[in-house]
Amino acid sequence: MTPINPDQLIVQLTQWALSFLDSYPLVAVLVAILLSTVPLVAVFPICFAITTWLERKGLARIQNRIGPNRTGFLGMLQPIADGIKMLLKEDIVPKTSDRLAHFLAPVVLMVPAFTILSVLPFNRNMIPAAVDTGVILFFALGSVSTLAVFMAGWSSRNKYSLLGGMRAIAQMVSYELPLVLSGVTVIMMTGSLDTTKIVAQQQLSEWIQSSNAGLQCLGQIIGWNVFTPWGFAGFLIFFVASLAEINRCPFDLPEADSEIVAGHLTEYSGFKYALFFMSEYVSAFAINGLSTTLFLGGWSGPNIRPPWSDDPNALLIPGFVWFFAKMFALMLVMIWIRGTLPRLRVDHLMGFAWKFLLPLAIMNIFVGGFYYYAPRWHGIPVVGWPIGFLVMYLSYECIGRLNRGPKTAQRVYHYAS
Amino acid sequence: MIIAFSILSVIAVISALLAVRLRNLVHATLTLMAFFVALAGLFILLMAEFLAAVQILVYVGAVGILILFAIMLTQQVTGNVKEHIEAHGALWGLAGATAVLLTLLLPAILKTALPLQPVVETIDPSVRALGLNLMSPYAIALQVIALLLTAALLGAVVIAISPEKSEEEKKS
Amino acid sequence: MLGIGILKGMAITAKNFFGSFVNKRLLPTLQYPEAGNSVTLFSRNIPFLVYDNDEDPLGTMRCVACKICEKECPPQCIYIVMEKDANGKPAKRPKVFDIDISVCMGCQICVEVCPFESIKMDSTFELSTPDRFEGLLLKREHLLKSNTYFHKIHPDEAQEVDDRLAAKQKKPAPTPSTPAA
Ligand code: SF4
Ligand code: SF4
Repeated sequence: MTPINPDQLIVQLTQWALSFLDSYPLVAVLVAILLSTVPLVAVFPICFAITTWLERKGLARIQNRIGPNRTGFLGMLQPIADGIKMLLKEDIVPKTSDRLAHFLAPVVLMVPAFTILSVLPFNRNMIPAAVDTGVILFFALGSVSTLAVFMAGWSSRNKYSLLGGMRAIAQMVSYELPLVLSGVTVIMMTGSLDTTKIVAQQQLSEWIQSSNAGLQCLGQIIGWNVFTPWGFAGFLIFFVASLAEINRCPFDLPEADSEIVAGHLTEYSGFKYALFFMSEYVSAFAINGLSTTLFLGGWSGPNIRPPWSDDPNALLIPGFVWFFAKMFALMLVMIWIRGTLPRLRVDHLMGFAWKFLLPLAIMNIFVGGFYYYAPRWHGIPVVGWPIGFLVMYLSYECIGRLNRGPKTAQRVYHYAS
Repeated sequence: MIIAFSILSVIAVISALLAVRLRNLVHATLTLMAFFVALAGLFILLMAEFLAAVQILVYVGAVGILILFAIMLTQQVTGNVKEHIEAHGALWGLAGATAVLLTLLLPAILKTALPLQPVVETIDPSVRALGLNLMSPYAIALQVIALLLTAALLGAVVIAISPEKSEEEKKS
Repeated sequence: MLGIGILKGMAITAKNFFGSFVNKRLLPTLQYPEAGNSVTLFSRNIPFLVYDNDEDPLGTMRCVACKICEKECPPQCIYIVMEKDANGKPAKRPKVFDIDISVCMGCQICVEVCPFESIKMDSTFELSTPDRFEGLLLKREHLLKSNTYFHKIHPDEAQEVDDRLAAKQKKPAPTPSTPAA
């Protein structure tokens, strides 16, 4: 028996379980499918519950409140209370609504939200669907959510819903461009659309396989794309665009509650509303998972080889711990941003995507290309790094300054002074 | 395989028919998108997952949404059901479809030996081959298409801007 | 640098977030049933009627049922019926004194206009009731509270009122003039 490798424990257990079914290939396939999908469908709703709790508590603390504290210890059972409340509510469908579309919209939103999770590598050998074109598949299925939001907005027969739906379409289509283009840089540098390869490229395998624990640790971190100029800029662009893509603050115009009630969610209640809510959070997880994969080294983190093992790839802490830690960290930043920034105006929103993020993302592709071909000294990008960083910084400043509107004169208040 | 294929093709045919026949424009577009998704499923069955992803990305994510957006900007979303258009376009369409079927598809179907061999090995690095093809033999075509699209984009911008200007000129 | 304002804002919210764990000023919430209430000397919500002698609330009630407050109350939530003695002569005491606190807006106008220092603002707040009609219509018996209680909730104001009344008692006023007239 090989020594236990905590990193691969779950994978080995699955393989061990499947080995009993070798003689029944059809059953084995079914069981394998179940084993890779059921955890997704089980783990992410739990993550969703934890996040709603974190969000309520975090926002409350930011606003000098306490937040939920009556349901269980520190209000931890609040998600359950919410769930019960949602499920017990009457499901109201407007009389003039388009019933079929109204019913289908949450489903259409939910299916891709969960499907895109399956191209994320949670750990080595732990990817539900190892496809060649993972990143493209992610973006493709992710774009379906626009359709769902539109269906919800249109089928409700409510002007607020329709306005929300329109805003959602305009926003999601616009922000998809910088999102994809900043991902393109990574794809270009890796030379692959395969998410597992993208993660593997961010690890320095010689360092990891050396015998020095410090080097092993560092080798798992130093190669992250976010530490390169194009990766850093790309990560920021990706993160901002993903905020808009999943309608989070400060880009939550489709459901801006002070303007259009709740946008496309206005006419939803009860279980369907809960589905909408959950799929929104699941797609937030998915997109954070993707930015973790593309820029933050996926499942690699400060990790060492277990002392009892001599397998060069064995790890002490399972990789998915790091993956989920990074995903949750990004989620927390999103909550933090939600507690800080006010909502954008519609024209600012569009201008920000088309006039600021998009040129910056295109610039980033060029910088990535330059970085790739710039001369290196012992493998260290001594030329590419500083120049790439400088170019990115300058273009950030220039594009930002070009975007500044004409300086308006100091406003004079005639009556209030 | 066969089961999945038949389900997907039935969905595709029905949704395509509905897309043509439905009087409500939004419904028609939604069924059209269902057709695109079914088509993507068929691509996946052929192991062309990249094509499937692009199909969804481009047709559902972009083209379909664009159509919906255009519909939202038109006056009448739901076509008047009572109004009947007197036209023989359907006949011509049917004739054209039959012609295509007879001249292109039927010979192809007849030529193939029916128990199809899976062709998995040949499509293995589909993305890489596609990229290489686009970048070396078809590079010029790609550039021309890009130029054309850019021109179209500029044209759209010009069209979008000009009426506003003329209004301003009227005012001043 | 561009975007520095966003970072500053983020820093402020982060300060509030972490500060709320250590700094009492950044977490002013009182956990209501456990941590008591937040009634201060300046709290005012609904009016109550003052009486002087703790033993005899009805007898030493200050109100003379002059109905000025009833007339002045903007939302018309006071209802007064004067008591009559056996001969039908007005007894200068309210037989009925109701305030509908579901209507009262706590404007304190009744307090301002009362010439007899008889109606004052209370600071009680646990007024919720399952009966939204009868339960929120406070009768004379509910509204009567002693001067001692007034001293307890608003000591300064009560002392002022007492001094004023004492001064009034010293010089034998012919009839109590209405200051608000
Ligand atoms: S406080 Fe205002 S509203 Fe309330 S009883 Fe007095 S006068 Fe009326
Ligand atoms: S004004 Fe004062 S004395 Fe007159 S009825 Fe009202 S509370 Fe009583």
